[in-house]
Amino acid sequence: MKEKLLQILADGEAAILAAKTEAELQEVKVALLGKQGTLTGLLKELPKLPPELRPEMGKAVNEVKGKLSTLIDERREELKLKASEVPADFDFTLPGKMPMTGGLHPITQMRYDLDDAFRSMGFEIFQEDDITSEYYAFDKLNFPPNHPARESMDTYWIEGHDTGKAEDKLCLRPHLTGGSVRYMQTHKAPYRFVYPGRVYRNETTDARHERAFFQYEALIVDKDFTFTAGKVMIKSILSKVFGKDVPVRMRAGFFPFVEPGFEIDMGCLVCGGKGCSVCKHVGWIEIMPGGTPHPNVLRAAGLDPDEYTGFYVNIGLDRLVMMRYGVDDVRLFHSTDLRFLEQFH
Amino acid sequence: MKLSLNWIRDYVAIPEDFDLKQLAFDLTMSTVEVEGVEELARRFDGIVVGKILEVNPHPNADKLRVCKVDTGDGTLHDIVCGGSNLEVDQLVVVACPGSFVRWHGEGDLVEIKNTKLRGVASYGMICAAVEVGLHDLFPTEDDHGIMDITSFGAAPGTPLAKALDLDDVILEIDNKSMTNRPDLWGHYGIAREISALYDLPLKIFEPYIPEAVEAFPIEIEDADRCPRYIGVKMEGLSVKPSPFEMQTRIWRVGMRPINALVDVTNYVMLALGQPTHAFDADNISDKIIVRRAKAGEELQLLNDKKLALSEDDLVIADSEGAVALAGVMGGVKDSIHDTTESVILEVANFESTGVRRTALRYDNRTEASSRYEKAVDPERCDLALSMTMEFFKALYPDMKVTAFADSYVKKLTKKEIDVELSWLDRRLGKRIPNEEVSKKLGLLGFEVSFTDTHMHIVVPTWRSTGDVGIKADIMEEVARMYGYENFEPTPIVTSFEGTINQLDIDLVRKIKEYLAIRCGMQEIFTYPWMSDEFVAAILQSTEGVLKLSTPPSPTESYIRSSLLPNLCRAVVKNERYYTEFSIFEEAQIFRNENYQSKYDEKELLPTQERHIAGAFAAPSDKMKDLYLTAKGVIENMSRFTHMEGFTFKREEKPVWADETVWLNIYLGDTKIGDLALLSKKASLASGIKNLATVLFEINTDALKPFKSRTNVFSHLAEYPTIEYDVSLLFDTDIKWEQIRATALKKKNNQSYLKDVAFVDEYKGAQVPAGKKSVTVRLTIGANDKTLTSGEIESCANGVVKILVKELKAESRMK
Repeated sequence: MKEKLLQILADGEAAILAAKTEAELQEVKVALLGKQGTLTGLLKELPKLPPELRPEMGKAVNEVKGKLSTLIDERREELKLKASEVPADFDFTLPGKMPMTGGLHPITQMRYDLDDAFRSMGFEIFQEDDITSEYYAFDKLNFPPNHPARESMDTYWIEGHDTGKAEDKLCLRPHLTGGSVRYMQTHKAPYRFVYPGRVYRNETTDARHERAFFQYEALIVDKDFTFTAGKVMIKSILSKVFGKDVPVRMRAGFFPFVEPGFEIDMGCLVCGGKGCSVCKHVGWIEIMPGGTPHPNVLRAAGLDPDEYTGFYVNIGLDRLVMMRYGVDDVRLFHSTDLRFLEQFH
Repeated sequence: MKLSLNWIRDYVAIPEDFDLKQLAFDLTMSTVEVEGVEELARRFDGIVVGKILEVNPHPNADKLRVCKVDTGDGTLHDIVCGGSNLEVDQLVVVACPGSFVRWHGEGDLVEIKNTKLRGVASYGMICAAVEVGLHDLFPTEDDHGIMDITSFGAAPGTPLAKALDLDDVILEIDNKSMTNRPDLWGHYGIAREISALYDLPLKIFEPYIPEAVEAFPIEIEDADRCPRYIGVKMEGLSVKPSPFEMQTRIWRVGMRPINALVDVTNYVMLALGQPTHAFDADNISDKIIVRRAKAGEELQLLNDKKLALSEDDLVIADSEGAVALAGVMGGVKDSIHDTTESVILEVANFESTGVRRTALRYDNRTEASSRYEKAVDPERCDLALSMTMEFFKALYPDMKVTAFADSYVKKLTKKEIDVELSWLDRRLGKRIPNEEVSKKLGLLGFEVSFTDTHMHIVVPTWRSTGDVGIKADIMEEVARMYGYENFEPTPIVTSFEGTINQLDIDLVRKIKEYLAIRCGMQEIFTYPWMSDEFVAAILQSTEGVLKLSTPPSPTESYIRSSLLPNLCRAVVKNERYYTEFSIFEEAQIFRNENYQSKYDEKELLPTQERHIAGAFAAPSDKMKDLYLTAKGVIENMSRFTHMEGFTFKREEKPVWADETVWLNIYLGDTKIGDLALLSKKASLASGIKNLATVLFEINTDALKPFKSRTNVFSHLAEYPTIEYDVSLLFDTDIKWEQIRATALKKKNNQSYLKDVAFVDEYKGAQVPAGKKSVTVRLTIGANDKTLTSGEIESCANGVVKILVKELKAESRMK
């Protein structure tokens, strides 16, 4: 009988530890300590023992019973803490809840990236009004009196202010550079500043042309500044914005308010310069005009062009954003379509 | 603009083995953007000359023939063909298997394969001109005709490109990159640049010496608009095709050959950039008059457009009337026709902006006008005259010049520029030897001389019409010829003068980031012009609204005096796809008032303010929530963006607002914006179908950013505070702001009341009509002790008492 008891204890301990759930544990408990349980069965056999052995054996059986009961209680606690509070069939692959949605326009994002990059190089940020006079939009920028851009097909003139002298004719600014003259007039050279803003052209629109689009102008004016320093500036900015070294080249270009003028290209990031459809297979993408401010522009700003020179670029923000995300229609930027804008959170 | 390399080679001797990629690159870097380099012969890969030896009927088709063709590979091939003009011994164009043609001249290129046509095997295809893109050079009267090249006499198997001498390279130049360079709008100008880039000699033209003939009568009435006019009357001409080489050259660069008389004028223009024109002399009554048109004067152009002219137009006329639009296009009456035998040749110079205005006025820009409007120099007439007369003499040996005149009434003066050498060195960042500068500029046509300190430049005529005029232009010429890539990068040097501190700029960014990131709104951009429909729906008046004189569309002429009309338009647009969304825009608004000078007293600009506006849209059953969400965004804006806070008042209901739900936003005593539910009427007028919309608009120019953060630390409470809710009945016209302000009077009284907050509002079955139950949460505590329940009760009772007394609240507390 003693061996039987030891066997029950050993088997019982193993069964308790093997129980994986509270239900299994309950089954083990019933099998050991229940009315039909093995240990209960052994107790029932006690009367059959010789009377002198009964007390010792009874004590031993009760000890085992106590041990097993404690073990079962401990195991139950253990299983209870281990068990999930959620039903096991809970679908943990369900989608998570969306945080607040909302975001800045992709052009604003690019603008702020550029603001941060230029500010880190000591540039101020300048803002000006959308409506300007022809005097600032063209005359102060060295546009000859009969330049085609002055004609109504290229500029949005304001009704009631569309005839007369240049200073009396008002328009939605066709470019930002006139505003830069305003900055120069009200600040003391040398200076460096950027001027982000939207400009307006009276044109037919298509996937690559818009009537309202964003420019980002940067201007340094200093003594004896060479155009090669301008290249260093552009390369630093683009590399920061795109997060990698961006090759830059400057080539001959013409704009009335710079002399010399450049077309500035960046290496195509889509193909790495090997040539692809995005860069028309040349490996370079034209992203901005630039150059040394024309002497007449510096004069308009009250500076002596023999003393001061500088460097100017006008970054097409729309095109830069199109490059960043592969957007193929510039008109989407003004579409107000949330299905488009939400892609850039 | 397209350029033929062979043609350029007529004027500058580019070595045969020259690397074309390098040429394209160098031109792009220093002169004009080369957008494409095409080897012309590649278009005709696998297309050869074939000789037809037999033409046999097709066994299964009446209209098809089976030809035996020698294509030079030693085998005779059967080719099935439907051509109507097939003949034995004819030389034809055979597209061999593997080559590409354009089926009937339409659609994409198709690869030719060995195939069976109606049961008969055919080796490739005998092509019509249109199928190999040569229909301009080989026009057919019959649509079913194949291209007959018997007259070229090439051996079977000769590649077509070789047989027709089309082995050329076509450069495609971006027109935008040379708008300032009238000298480059022809092959000769580009040849000059190449000559300077690589030190190669440039062809010089001998001037035309007019024969002693009678003077051609020319009257120039407007010398400013027509500085020079050369007229040459020639007889003994006829209309015939021009030589094939002249035709292909014109064709290669994108124009169509017509006949010898017209082709010569086009060829000269493409060569030199100088347009010329040939009139039929029989239809010019007596003389040429260059004058302004009379208002309403009629002219029918070559392309049949009938114009009623303006006094600003310059015309070529005879004594009977206008015959051509100067510098733009000839008239139909005096143009070359099939029987023309005598011609008046015009080689003239017209002023650029006048030509441009006229061409644009009639939407009639031409190859000629697009060149004149770049400002061609009058001296170029000499080259054009010389080249034209050479051609006429060669093409018409019996031709006689019967009258001539060169009326050069406004002479061009060459620009002269002095450049200080030390200035040039400083701006370039390096010294370029005088000899090198002199040589490069000399090749470009500049006359250069030096003193110890200066360089004196005489600008050639073709660069003196506005392109080159100041020393910065000379610096550019030197730098681009030296090569921009050959200057070493220099670092940017600066001095530190303090941090950049732009509070206004930063504030707008903070607000936008607050709205987008903290409030979950999406930023949008709309155009500054508003559609009339939304102006009527939202603004309901156009008083003080500015207008565009040439708007993008007739119904979008007003420019915004508020951001709200366009925001509502965006709501309409997005309502199709979303049931709940919020958007905002930051932009300037304009008003026809308060004109002021900010920078220059000569300039007066109207009111322009930077605004931020937002729209919250959701189904109408969420209207109240929507309003409270929007209000929360405005109420908390100053806290999160660190500026002076706003207050709400009800002074002036916006016209677009709902009768009940509207507030004016104030900063101190100044109204800076509105917040309101869009009225039902305005909503319907806007075309918003299902959603309720709450709008706000703030003038951000009026906002006052703090110089730095102003948050103040307060100690964490040492003794507990408790939240104590009380529910009270109020008349429904009592507003929460009154309840809170009244309750807070207790706080001012040094009581234990710390704050009063809104929990809930209820109207309904349990509450009598005209009443509402409001649950108020009182925060009660002391800084120096734990309050007893008695103290808490007495504080709460104090608050209730004052609400009962002042707002006639009914307490439901015992």
